[in-house]
Amino acid sequence: MKRREFLRRLGVGSLAAMGFSRFALAQARPVKLAALLPLTGPFAFAGNAGREGFVDGVDYVNEVLGGIGGRRLELIVEDTGYDVARGTAAFNRVISRERADELLFVYGDSTGLSKALAPEIARIGLPYSATSFANELADPKTYPTIFVFGPTYNDMVEALLRQVRLQKGRAKIALVYSNTEFGRDPIPYAKERAKALGMEVVHEEVTPPAFTDATPVVLNLRRANPDFVILQGYALSVEPLIVRAAREQGLQAQFMGTYYSAELALIQRTGPAAEGFIVTYHNAYWYDTLVPAVNEMRKFRQRKGRDTSYRPTYYMGSLAVALGVAEAMRRAAAAGKLTRAGVVEYLEKIGDYNALGLVRGYQFVNHRIPYTKLYRASVKDRRFNAITDWIKLA
Amino acid sequence: MADFLPYLIGGLANGALYGLLALGFVLVYRATSVVNFAIGEFLLVGAYLTYTFALFLPLPLAILAALPLAFLFGLLVERGFVRPLLGRNVVAVIMATIGLAAALDGAVQLIWGPDLKYLSGSLPNLGFQAGEVFVSSRAVWNLLLALPLGLGLLWLLRRSRYGILVRAISEREVAALALGIPTARILAGVWGVSALLATLAGALLAVASGVGHNLVFFGLKVFPVAILGGLDSVGGALLAGFLLGALEALSQRYLEPLLPGFTEALPFVVVLLVLLVRPYGLLGERQIERV
Repeated sequence: MKRREFLRRLGVGSLAAMGFSRFALAQARPVKLAALLPLTGPFAFAGNAGREGFVDGVDYVNEVLGGIGGRRLELIVEDTGYDVARGTAAFNRVISRERADELLFVYGDSTGLSKALAPEIARIGLPYSATSFANELADPKTYPTIFVFGPTYNDMVEALLRQVRLQKGRAKIALVYSNTEFGRDPIPYAKERAKALGMEVVHEEVTPPAFTDATPVVLNLRRANPDFVILQGYALSVEPLIVRAAREQGLQAQFMGTYYSAELALIQRTGPAAEGFIVTYHNAYWYDTLVPAVNEMRKFRQRKGRDTSYRPTYYMGSLAVALGVAEAMRRAAAAGKLTRAGVVEYLEKIGDYNALGLVRGYQFVNHRIPYTKLYRASVKDRRFNAITDWIKLA
Repeated sequence: MADFLPYLIGGLANGALYGLLALGFVLVYRATSVVNFAIGEFLLVGAYLTYTFALFLPLPLAILAALPLAFLFGLLVERGFVRPLLGRNVVAVIMATIGLAAALDGAVQLIWGPDLKYLSGSLPNLGFQAGEVFVSSRAVWNLLLALPLGLGLLWLLRRSRYGILVRAISEREVAALALGIPTARILAGVWGVSALLATLAGALLAVASGVGHNLVFFGLKVFPVAILGGLDSVGGALLAGFLLGALEALSQRYLEPLLPGFTEALPFVVVLLVLLVRPYGLLGERQIERV
């Protein structure tokens, strides 16, 4: 053996001994996932919790699951300030800066931003999801690369209306929603379905997304005297105001909300009046210690020296997206298809994966996961308790 | 009447907070000609100060404890941001307050974190039933605190020595300086009072809806209120606050079913209509400038 050949073999042997796979993981070009989140502004509380979910998810994929087919998963985070213009600028910045064969998934914020970006996302074939559960986004014919990691707002309202029907046959419903894309999204469906289910929509109230006095809203509700009030499009900004004022003024109606009302802050801010508030929610709660994913992430965060106290629903949602997308990427890599098209293909094929019980399963139907549970607020327990098993919505 | 009255009372109670905040805004504008675009952030800081004290004090005491600190905060803002820019181009001062707003937004998030907060205690329940009309505890507290405070401040401005000095400075600062009036100290005090009023409004809002960045949006309402009342009229600010609060509540009752979403635009529509007739606002001083 010549000296040069000997040295080459020695080098390779040493690398193998030192853990070549680790070396390769560090050296190969990374696979990138970008998250455009509201880290500042009115939804900073959700954006920062969401970022934490992505950071944990990506770290877990790299450190425990071995990355994506030998490549490291890299997270890019940009602040949108919950502003469509800033979000669009952040999107354009990321898209123009990153290579198309490295940036394989983008996660955006808000219904408004996602609808604004949707045509461009479809044009460049970029796998995308968002904090939004807007019905329009779950349309693989128009937007073949957009996925909604949960039920749409229409699905959530469907689940609530089914619960209404269970509790009272010909119920009177009131719809209170913000004058935003987020608020308006499921309203036409809610009105149509309520009618089809034999219910009567006795009142409809459009409000700004944030306001400071719920008196006129509650007085209007009192005049309509509904059995159930569905709140949509607020993300905890005004639900406590409305519910507290309603109880103070003697309104007995049952209050309900969708995914963004399903956070413990609703109970904390509303106080005793929160009792019985029903929400839809489709991931595990941090306090669901029987769910393996929750225990696993608690241990993982402990190992990393991170806070293991309660993590909000926005954290759980982002974690579910990060793990689901990583699984699709890993399967695409194993099939030699680690491209944007490959990620889309394998997102549609990971129905058997449930991220250790974090979600029911990534079973996309028309690019959304049509399953949810209903939870009821318990002031005594200071948490939402499940009142149904998984409800199939498609 | 029984249908109309609860809306009116609720609206006036909310308008009391508009008035309180606008009072501080107009006071600063009148004394220093500075349009404080950071007024929403003053309210935010005040709400967070109250939250901090409420962690270890009963809520009424927490509000009382937050007020002097808020006054101090106003003094610091005046000393650090405003005084160095006095006499400069008005646009520079406006830009500085916009920058201040962004800096305070960031500082609040850094200090208190982005999580939603809530006040653990509550104010004593003063709600009552008067015939068929229920008056909520929140409405009583808003009116009970804002109305005497606003009227008292008006009285102080008109009758007290301090008020006369403030008015003298706002009329002609150079002449006030020549007369030996401690202009800098008094103007700093005006900023302190403005921060104090914003803190009280912030605390009352936080009691009802918790503490979070969304409180800043309440600050945006100060502009239509102040313009409607007259940018240089302290009494006008109070009056316009009540007026807009009541109009919003009545619009939510009578116009919203016909024009969904209209109430959100109402303050600006009202301002536009009033300005067409009275360009200087309801109680603003009529000024004619030769150009």
